[in-house]
Amino acid sequence: MSQVQLQFRLNGKDYSIQADPTQRMVDLLRENLHLTGTKVGCGVGECGACTVVLNGEAVTSCLVLAGQMQGADILTVEGLSETQIGSILQQCFVDGDAVQCGFCTPGFLMSAYALLLHNPHPTREEIKVAVSGNLCRCTGYVPILNAIEAAGLRLAAEGK
Amino acid sequence: MQVRTYIRPASLADALHTLATVEEPIAIIAGGTDVLVYAREDDRYANSALIDIYGLAGELGQIREERDDLIIGALATHAAIAKSPLVLRYAPILADACRSIAAPQVRNHATIAGNIANASPAADSLGALAVLRAKVGVQSPEGQRELAMDQIIARPYRNNLGPRDLITYIRIPKLEGYQHMFYKLGRRRAQSISRMTLAALLKRDSQGVVEDFRITVGATFPRPMVFPDVDAMLIGIRPAQADLEAVAKALSNKIPEIAGIRASTAYKQPVCEKLCLRILNNLLGGDQQ
Ligand SMILES: Cc1cc2nc3c(=O)[nH]c(=O)nc-3n(C[C@@H](O)[C@@H](O)[C@H](O)COP(=O)(O)OP(=O)(O)OC[C@H]3O[C@@H](n4cnc5c(N)ncnc54)[C@H](O)[C@@H]3O)c2cc1C
Ligand code: FES
Ligand code: FES
Repeated sequence: MSQVQLQFRLNGKDYSIQADPTQRMVDLLRENLHLTGTKVGCGVGECGACTVVLNGEAVTSCLVLAGQMQGADILTVEGLSETQIGSILQQCFVDGDAVQCGFCTPGFLMSAYALLLHNPHPTREEIKVAVSGNLCRCTGYVPILNAIEAAGLRLAAEGK
Repeated sequence: MQVRTYIRPASLADALHTLATVEEPIAIIAGGTDVLVYAREDDRYANSALIDIYGLAGELGQIREERDDLIIGALATHAAIAKSPLVLRYAPILADACRSIAAPQVRNHATIAGNIANASPAADSLGALAVLRAKVGVQSPEGQRELAMDQIIARPYRNNLGPRDLITYIRIPKLEGYQHMFYKLGRRRAQSISRMTLAALLKRDSQGVVEDFRITVGATFPRPMVFPDVDAMLIGIRPAQADLEAVAKALSNKIPEIAGIRASTAYKQPVCEKLCLRILNNLLGGDQQ
């Protein structure tokens, strides 16, 4: 496919790049922009490793066409620490041993970020639903759920 | 993905013009949660003009009222439908069905029209739309028409749309005073084993007499079905347990009648009967809302 000019906001910066609009968003991020924090697991929407936040909502970037980034506001794991919610989440994942091999971690962080963005004080059940599209083969999920819950509490303590 | 050309219309009018004039075979992409999965499997889109309508959400993504109907834009996502106050008020069974689809990341990007057009027999919105008597609004270069749920789908993975047809909205008559139940058996990750959905709507008067009843089974027949003969069994009576059992039997008998006797029938028919009875008991035991 021929290239088109794509303009979007990514991790708080404006981009204007030439790219193939019919590739997957995850390939544009990883190959064109060398942002390899976003992982590819299954490639068919089942594992959540490729989760990014697109216009405020978590999506699997393996199932989003790059052309649909036109005009969008995107957050990937690389931009997370610049946000209050993101840096608290990252700290809680580390403190709570919610990371083992780490392959699933960016995806979980982005799903959790989107949750806390809309719902800063989620219940355990809401946390489970929010990460129901993310698979982890290492941790058994409990430390991850605990870490997200802890992040919600810390946000509350910080008056958010 | 491999395509001949990629076109991203700037407006609905622009999209209709494109659909009327493009020479290559046409492939529409909305959220892409089915299309991008297919594109991984083979090169079926290699000679196509890919028309990306996702950017038209401003025109085609709204959920609004139009007198006695709810109008759901073709590009409304499952997530938007599941939390829409209008849907929760006038068609809550559709909110339940959309909430049961996949996981948040897919629900946030996948659209209702894509779910319909993809015509998977396991598409979860279809049963709810069938009992709601939804109509699908289709626009083509020849004009505009509305199709009922049992007309829009021909057979598994084949819709009755022409190549230049675009679904633009879903029209749903508003319902009030109904109880509803959407039940989904099995999960997509366990797709290889049979699954089934049941969707039921019930309206009773203050004496408990059934004014309206509609039920269907999804993920079981080649296309969405409505069963006026089964629905009629409860209308006008105060149902006793024997009436509910008769409905469950009649509904589950549709499986061998319509889908024919298959390997899965031995499993699906009794499961359907049991689930139907459980749902009816829940609805009749529960309070009216
Ligand atoms: C991991 C995963 C889990 C899933 N789980 C479920 C589930 O539990 N239940 C369920 O029902 N579905 C499930 N799905 C499928 C569901 O996501 C899709 O059916 C979705 O609703 C399709 O919408 P889309 O916008 O992504 O369509 P696309 O993939 O863009 O398009 C799908 C088809 O519809 C056509 N199309 C799209 N929009 C229009 C239009 N406006 N007019 C005419 N044709 C159109 C396209 O040409 C294409 O043929 C799952 C998918 C994934 C990846
Ligand atoms: S790689 Fe996208 S969901 Fe698995
Ligand atoms: S930490 Fe290894 S997959 Fe989750």
